[in-house]
Amino acid sequence: MILRETEQMEVKRYIPRTESPSCDLGGAGNAIVEIDLSSQERSQLLDVAAWSSMLEIYGRTMKVAVALTDPNGTLLGQCRNAQPIWALVRGATNEKVIGCSFCLTRLSPCTAVADALRTGLPTMTRDQAGLTHVAVPLTLGRHLLGAIIAGQVLDRYPDSLLLERAAKRFGVSFQLLWDLSSKQRPISHVAMQMAGDLLSTLGQAFVRQRYGAILEARIAQTNGRFRSLVEGVTDYALFTTDHVGRVTSWNIGAERMLGYPEATILGQYFSRIFTVDDIEGGVPEKQLLKAYREGRAEDEGWRVREDQTQLWADVIITPLLEEEKADSGFAVVMENVTDRRKAAIELEAARQERINLQERFLSHVSHELRTPLTALYFFITNLLDGVVGDLPLLQREHLEFSLENVKQLRDMVDDLLDVSRIETLKLNVKPRQFVVSRLIEEALRTCRGNAVSKNIRLGSHIASDLPSAWADRARLLQVLVNLIDNAIKFTPDSGAVTLGAQLFADDRSFLCLSVSDTGCGITPDQCEMVFDRLAQVKASTEVSRKGLGLGLFISRELVVQQHGRIWVDSQVGRGSTFSFTVPVFSVATLCESIFTPSNLMAGCVTVIVVDVPPIVGEVQTDYLAEIRAILERSILAGHDLLLPAAADNESATTLFIIACAETSRVEAISSCLREALDDFDCGSRAKPRISATTLRLAANELPWKQRIVDVSRRIEKLIQARLLDKGYLG
Amino acid sequence: MSAKKILIVDDDGHLLLGLAAKLKTHGYAVFSAMDGISAMAVARQEVPDLVLLDLGLPGGDGFLVLERLRQMTEFVAIPVIVLSARDPATNKDRALRAGAVAFFQKPPANRELLGAIRNALGEEVALSQFLKT
Repeated sequence: MILRETEQMEVKRYIPRTESPSCDLGGAGNAIVEIDLSSQERSQLLDVAAWSSMLEIYGRTMKVAVALTDPNGTLLGQCRNAQPIWALVRGATNEKVIGCSFCLTRLSPCTAVADALRTGLPTMTRDQAGLTHVAVPLTLGRHLLGAIIAGQVLDRYPDSLLLERAAKRFGVSFQLLWDLSSKQRPISHVAMQMAGDLLSTLGQAFVRQRYGAILEARIAQTNGRFRSLVEGVTDYALFTTDHVGRVTSWNIGAERMLGYPEATILGQYFSRIFTVDDIEGGVPEKQLLKAYREGRAEDEGWRVREDQTQLWADVIITPLLEEEKADSGFAVVMENVTDRRKAAIELEAARQERINLQERFLSHVSHELRTPLTALYFFITNLLDGVVGDLPLLQREHLEFSLENVKQLRDMVDDLLDVSRIETLKLNVKPRQFVVSRLIEEALRTCRGNAVSKNIRLGSHIASDLPSAWADRARLLQVLVNLIDNAIKFTPDSGAVTLGAQLFADDRSFLCLSVSDTGCGITPDQCEMVFDRLAQVKASTEVSRKGLGLGLFISRELVVQQHGRIWVDSQVGRGSTFSFTVPVFSVATLCESIFTPSNLMAGCVTVIVVDVPPIVGEVQTDYLAEIRAILERSILAGHDLLLPAAADNESATTLFIIACAETSRVEAISSCLREALDDFDCGSRAKPRISATTLRLAANELPWKQRIVDVSRRIEKLIQARLLDKGYLG
Repeated sequence: MSAKKILIVDDDGHLLLGLAAKLKTHGYAVFSAMDGISAMAVARQEVPDLVLLDLGLPGGDGFLVLERLRQMTEFVAIPVIVLSARDPATNKDRALRAGAVAFFQKPPANRELLGAIRNALGEEVALSQFLKT
């Protein structure tokens, strides 16, 4: 070997034949995954003890020296399988080598490790003693961990002249150097490249193996922490199930809350903690499905302990996601909120009790006032009727005032009863179809007396061609009369009160009824509160204070319960307009329940008309009610619909059945009706007549909703025509 | 033709007095009872043509009186009009089902009450015939 002091540094790099192993950890593709490593974990990766046997075996097999370094090239542990020439020279020299422990001497510091780490590629270097080594970078993600250096071998056969100079240069015996050199087989650059390649693969694989061990340790630690956390939680039940709801884990909180020890519940379906009703209703399955679909299912409800006692639980179910497999199971967190529930129930019970008490009191007062009021009424009317003799004019006048006051008292007592019904939700409204203009006429008739006595003009503006309304007629009359009476009360003498009725502009499925006056008006801030209970506008009290101030409150409740709304527009000094809305009668709305796709499969709807021959001069209400009951029994609920009394009075003698049926079933219904009516004793009356008209649904290309609306319209027209024939709607 | 007999059953003395005076001026013979037991006794003795019945009575509900009147063959045809302070929403249907011909909540309008009485006694037709002649 010839040592040439002037020999330039020779650095060779090569591209490995396989893909750079340093990029392997990114999984698919070449993306480098961000990996977090603590300094402790970093040093664990290059733990010399763990690497030693691998390095040892490699060194011996390849007949090279091998060592692990940190990123600065400083040796970690010893150099293994140190080669004899290197050992001899190293032992003899005092020269300090900077940067690389393998270089015996160099013109400039060896940067093999730094270069390898910078480029990510194995880097080969030959020192001035003619010995070659290769530095293999060790990386993990973006972390540059260190390197493996292997070599200390000659890359060619040395000649004696060079060895002589080297011996002289390093102060060792030429003979010894010669002997050692002749025993060592040089390793060519190509072979060294392959050795570096192999070492790179081995090194990176080993780093990954070490990293795997670190991850496992981390998971074990996390699991341990999680387990102790989960197991230690006693206030919450925490458990997991598999994808069909079989319990796979069960913490101490679950055991305490639900009573089942872990051993008995594992593998059981979690539905066993549900109530029988919930299980029959498929609630457990529905909740898992919801959690699976929406990523979360929350619920509050009764759950059952092992001893069959119940608790009210707040439950959250979330799906467990393992490696993007969505059916890994579910995690369930339960909190026992029975106490909270009990408190809420008690609060509700107390509220209900208070309402009941109030209702009982109001209805008691209303009840108890009625009998003395009646006696008073009878006495006053008796006196006015001259039952106990004729009265002088002045006494008569005073008695008439008394009678007025008795009537007011009666109205108040009625209001009290209504309010008690509102409070207990007992206010029943029975909707039916009626003509608004007739209702308004009736309201005007009722209030005319009051208006005349104050010389107030009472009039109405009713739009033509108004559809009929669908509401409780008597209750709406009550609202109207109340509004008119109020208007008269707050309007000075010689003023005007006007009723209006038209289609509601904002929503044509409603009618808008209004009562306008030329009274004192209400300020805007009072417009909101006039409908409140016991509210009576303060400013107006001077004008007149009569009644309990419950009228508008009752009116609002009556309107709202019939799906309408009520409001007031007012100008102080000019007057007020109270308006409210009432649903328009619509066959479509009534038919919604039976017009289902399966019912309308045949594509037709039949209107069955039952005409009950009227008998002049006889009250027919009961008779008609019985006929209605027969019809009701003869139809198939859910498929057919008996329309409510279709005209303005209950004694309408034409009844309609809407049947979702084709001709064959319509015949069956009709014959069933005939039989039932034959069995029914009509007395001297003629039997009801039955006729039917079948309507086909419009062509298929129309949207379902549109077809329903179309057929409803046709039914409505048909019904209106029949009623017009009979003179019920005019 | 002798006057039609009306039995008023009510526990309020003033109401009895006022209503009795009113009915008398309309040409009826009026008897009264203030509880269920005496109501039955008076009914047996006088056999009224019509009964005006309160529901809240001492010693037995008005419904009991109504039931017993409907069960006894001699009274089964006597029309009963209920005049009660109770809520018609919960009592009217029950009263009509039990056999009453009409239900009035106190206080009734005189005209309607007298109309119902005449109607129940079958006097409406007679009156209109009388007016025609």
